[in-house]
Amino acid sequence: MIRPMLALQEASPIPFFTMDGEMDLLGGWLICFLTLSVFSFLYKDNPFYKIAEHTFVGAGTAFFALQYYSEGILEPLYVHINHAMQLPAGELMQLGGYGVDPTYAIIFRSVAVLFSIFLLSRMVFPNGWAPRWPLAVMVGVYAALKLTGETQSKLVLQVASAMQPLTNPEKLAWSDNWVAVEETQVFYTFANTVMVVGLICALAHFIFTYKRTKILGGVSRVGIIVLMITFGSMFGFTVLGRYALLIERVDTLGGFNNQDYALFGTSALSPPILLTVLIALVLAVSLRGKNSTSTS
Amino acid sequence: MAKRTDKALDLDRRWIFLVIAILVVVLYALGIAAEMPVNQYVQSYYDTIEELDEGSIVLLSADFDPASAAELLPMYQATIYQLLKRNMRVINVATWPAAPPYTREEFEKAAPLYKKKYGVDWVELGFKPGDDVAMGQIGQSVTSAYIQDDRDGKPLADFPIFKDVGNSFEGISLLITMSAGYPGILEWIAQAGGRYDVPILAGTTAVQTPDLFAYYPTQLKGFLGAATGATMYLQLVGADVPQLEEVTITNQKRMLIQTWAHLLIIGLIIYGNVLYFVGRRREANA
Repeated sequence: MIRPMLALQEASPIPFFTMDGEMDLLGGWLICFLTLSVFSFLYKDNPFYKIAEHTFVGAGTAFFALQYYSEGILEPLYVHINHAMQLPAGELMQLGGYGVDPTYAIIFRSVAVLFSIFLLSRMVFPNGWAPRWPLAVMVGVYAALKLTGETQSKLVLQVASAMQPLTNPEKLAWSDNWVAVEETQVFYTFANTVMVVGLICALAHFIFTYKRTKILGGVSRVGIIVLMITFGSMFGFTVLGRYALLIERVDTLGGFNNQDYALFGTSALSPPILLTVLIALVLAVSLRGKNSTSTS
Repeated sequence: MAKRTDKALDLDRRWIFLVIAILVVVLYALGIAAEMPVNQYVQSYYDTIEELDEGSIVLLSADFDPASAAELLPMYQATIYQLLKRNMRVINVATWPAAPPYTREEFEKAAPLYKKKYGVDWVELGFKPGDDVAMGQIGQSVTSAYIQDDRDGKPLADFPIFKDVGNSFEGISLLITMSAGYPGILEWIAQAGGRYDVPILAGTTAVQTPDLFAYYPTQLKGFLGAATGATMYLQLVGADVPQLEEVTITNQKRMLIQTWAHLLIIGLIIYGNVLYFVGRRREANA
């Protein structure tokens, strides 16, 4: 174990381990090992994948716990109250966009703390009245926030956007433009017609309280086709996103495929190559062992 | 014939993984960059920033984490360079806990190049828990939502940039979000666009992109959809920013791989359907 580490350090200008945020050899090898370990799951569940999975869960939990403690407890409680207490006399503190006396700011925050304690009291008194009060406030606030903002953005403005004219005199004639087809009058009319017809048909598909007659059934059928096209486009975008992640990982692994990160400064022993071979070998041997056991 | 069709239908999916892996690695090794034509959504995103007056204040929200950095980080980098190059002032917030390390690193790299001062031209407020509620709070009053900045831990009143910022997005000319999911662009549209009428731009992951077409151009002035949008935008911004040259070429290389990888998927879908219909016809004839 020590010899390869020494070989790494002696052959490379990159430090073996550093705390200053710069890339080091240990980090490079770890990135390659964990990436390849996760990919090894595509073949079969195995100990390498388990190591990567548990490392991720552990590191992620620690990071998120610290972030939520810092930004969700420390800052809104300690920093806020400390700030309010240190303000010079007569100076107002910002609360909800308004300047208020620091004493009121502390009282408001203390009520929030009290409500948090009420919520936690559920662990001791599962059927007590205390947790219901903060829950009621949370449900009320959240419902109000969602209702007002989302009604405007997802209903009112969407309905307005759906009412498009089918012609636009500002658009170009078909013969004027052969490059940007979407800038032409013909395309504009076609696109908006498809949108209006598609919208009506898709909505008709969700009319469940009337019998599917020939007309409603036909319109609903077109609606299903519109929905299927939508799902198809979503699938296409999902493939695009998943490939983007794969290509980025391959790109990252490729970045470590050089002499600086390689054992003994030999490119053939760079982390992605060496670890791929190593993981494949261990998997092959372990699976062979399992197969022979199950055969016997 | 029947046996061969059955065998093909029972193909182990790991062969498909292997073919995809070989295709991606080979194309990556070839390293061919492909330039992309810019679409109207990306052009609108770029133009909206270009049309802002110098010195305007922009609220830039980083709503992503390492899992989506492959798609969103390049567009986030390019957005920072365009904003700083155009002398915008940027208030940087995050509603995802893993975003701040990225945002700080990118600003620390870009700001010195344009001689931008912390607190005057840009400020780092960091992560705010609370999802929609946090967005509502930020929209109502940035200076109330945050007590101190995330980098130096100083009260917001100490920073000159906040002298021009009021309640209800007063003083803020544009909201840009790099959105990986929930909370993200759809929540910003509801909590900020729906209430305060502030123009919004977004960079999104591929999975979220189809949702955004319905919001363009009324509620969303422009958006960068997925890695393709990032590449187009990098071509626009990176043309005269040498620091973005490498990331632009890297993205262009990735898009060529994407093209062939998608063709492979199309081929596999056609192949699977042909086998399915052949099998169905055989069953009907039997």
